[in-house]
Amino acid sequence: MKQQEFLTDIEIVEKVKKGDKDSFSLLVERYQKGLINLLFPLLRNYEEAIELCQEVFLKVYSHLDQYDSHYKFSTWIYRIANNLAIDHLRKGTPKIDSIDEKDEDEESKIEIESNDLSPQERLEKKIMEKEILTAISSLDTLSRELIILRHIHFRSYEEMAKITNLPVGTVKNKIFRARKELMKKLEKVK
Amino acid sequence: MICKKIVELLPRFIENDFSKEEYAEIARHLEECERCKKEYEAMKKLIDRLETMPLLNVPKSFKESVMKSLKDLKDKNDG
Repeated sequence: MKQQEFLTDIEIVEKVKKGDKDSFSLLVERYQKGLINLLFPLLRNYEEAIELCQEVFLKVYSHLDQYDSHYKFSTWIYRIANNLAIDHLRKGTPKIDSIDEKDEDEESKIEIESNDLSPQERLEKKIMEKEILTAISSLDTLSRELIILRHIHFRSYEEMAKITNLPVGTVKNKIFRARKELMKKLEKVK
Repeated sequence: MICKKIVELLPRFIENDFSKEEYAEIARHLEECERCKKEYEAMKKLIDRLETMPLLNVPKSFKESVMKSLKDLKDKNDG
């Protein structure tokens, strides 16, 4: 029998559908980090991103019978996360984390980086990352989504089109424009 | 005028979204035009920076918390 870690997403989905509910934890393990890193830059609030990520998994679980295995499971789950994030943003005033005030707290949430850099280089890198995050945060929701999906999650244009429910050509045009806007915003920071 | 057009095309150029001939034409312009080359390099740098942003970690208890919520949901539906 195949070891659990080598099961494909679709094989896991099939197991869960057949009643092996515990196998769902394998999907949580596979997608939790990706989803939180999709939701956080969109919502700009870590706690809300965690809560919404939990909601995504509950929705995925309760709608698993609607998943069509002709499509990649990752596209389906990203699409659900994306839609929930948009609904969430529409509903209320976002509680935006102040990136500057959360330095110490943020440390434990961010992956440990390589120590190849000097303290000065690390500081400069950190400042630049904050500026980029702030610039991404100031984009409109769709531009933000596209930049995150393409450059943080390395999704193909075809996948991005399915996730956002837009034609591929529109996705390309929008992301090209979003990137230019991001450059302009970062130019102003310097 | 040419520069304006080239700058517009840079995002597609970076992603190699052109035919071989179109790509070569833009590359030739970038070799000759310092201003457009600077713009190209800035865009490349932005993408490199975006793609090496550190990722946030997930709280250790997250998976357990999701599985507990699923169990609660199931119990609620069954009961």
